[in-house]
Amino acid sequence: MTSEVRVSFTLNGEARSEEMEPNKTLCDFLHDEAGTTSVKKGCDTGECGACTVLLDDMPVTSCLVLAPQINGRDVVTAEGLGTKSAPHPVQQAFVAKDAVQCGYCIPGMIVTLSWIYEHAPGASDAEIKRLMSGNLCRCTGYIQQIDALKSALKRT
Amino acid sequence: MKSFQYLAPIPVFDYVVPGNLQELFQALDVHGRKLSIVAGGTDLMIALKERIITPEVVVDLGRLRKELGGISSGGGVLRIGCLATFSQIESSPLVARYADALRQAAANVGTLQIRSIATLGGNLATASPAADSAPPLIALGANVTLASGFGERKIPVQSLFTGPKRNGLRPGEIVSTIEIPATEDVWSSWTRAAVRNENVLSTVSVAVASTIHDGTFGPSRVALGAVAPTPILAEKASVAMTWADATAQTAYSVAVLAAEDSKPISDIRASASYRRRLVSVLTRRLILQLISEVAVP
Repeated sequence: MTSEVRVSFTLNGEARSEEMEPNKTLCDFLHDEAGTTSVKKGCDTGECGACTVLLDDMPVTSCLVLAPQINGRDVVTAEGLGTKSAPHPVQQAFVAKDAVQCGYCIPGMIVTLSWIYEHAPGASDAEIKRLMSGNLCRCTGYIQQIDALKSALKRT
Repeated sequence: MKSFQYLAPIPVFDYVVPGNLQELFQALDVHGRKLSIVAGGTDLMIALKERIITPEVVVDLGRLRKELGGISSGGGVLRIGCLATFSQIESSPLVARYADALRQAAANVGTLQIRSIATLGGNLATASPAADSAPPLIALGANVTLASGFGERKIPVQSLFTGPKRNGLRPGEIVSTIEIPATEDVWSSWTRAAVRNENVLSTVSVAVASTIHDGTFGPSRVALGAVAPTPILAEKASVAMTWADATAQTAYSVAVLAAEDSKPISDIRASASYRRRLVSVLTRRLILQLISEVAVP
């Protein structure tokens, strides 16, 4: 039997307190229990980036975080970045630039690119590629997504 | 080997989150039960999922960021807490000033998502022969402070590594602080070879720290990663470089000695002979870079 632990955190701006099994990953908790289904499990080994979320405003692969490690911390998923009626500039640019194909990598990709948008808006193309190297996309070849980020930043 | 195991949840464990150092050292006294410590968790989670380890107790350092984190300097020493993340190290002006080789290595660890949470203390305690933080620290002459409920001891970084994924920590002990001599005129740099540029284990990594005065190298250290059971100080190369003329000729001869100092194996990433060749090429490149940046401003 797992002894559950009480964990307090904020998820997409909302304060929450939950009983968690400590042997569960943050990825599984967010997708299966918290209702934030944008968080996708891809490789489950921290390579692909499909499960990327912001933890205290830094992008992390949530499959490499034990769920109770978020105690006292701030978690933001793609759901918390924007809504259908008021999307994040990066989300808007993904639509405008057709930067989506199958969609599986997209929530994680948008979380990472939104972080670059906020924290490294002047990044060179090479630096953008370095910063997004933890988000693998099997469909697009990345060009549309870099274009989308730059158009959100009004750099094109 | 691993994919089907991933379908099963990680086996259960007791989860402890100490609120201060006293509670931490009490928590580490587990009376023979199998213990793991989680700092960032990026290495630990893989080991848990692949059943490389099956701890009965997991102690999370997450509430000790004040006590065990942070980057500061004073008294001629740059101090980095074990919970400092690679992102924090990558963006620290103090690290750039006193330990640029470490900044360069930190910026190349894993991916943005890994650097955001992975810690310097965790990288050292995991004790991979390919730990990218180790060659810069060894080249810079860094020490680690190991702390337990019984006190502290300080050892050179290379002494923490006792074998592949084996560290010299005693039961109840943690890597608490990394101390780097903070000297203005020390130049240091790091480079590596790998099968791609990002999100990859180093095939070979090299760090050099030295000074140049009046056309002569001062005390110098060459350190190597992924070419021996542990990261190593290249002793013959370091001795030969110290007090040698700051010339391309020295760069070539030291590079040859560094290759002799290495003890690589062949594995999926490269053959032993290719690794030895890489050690020589990368060492030479770093020393030539040092000469061009310092001797010829």
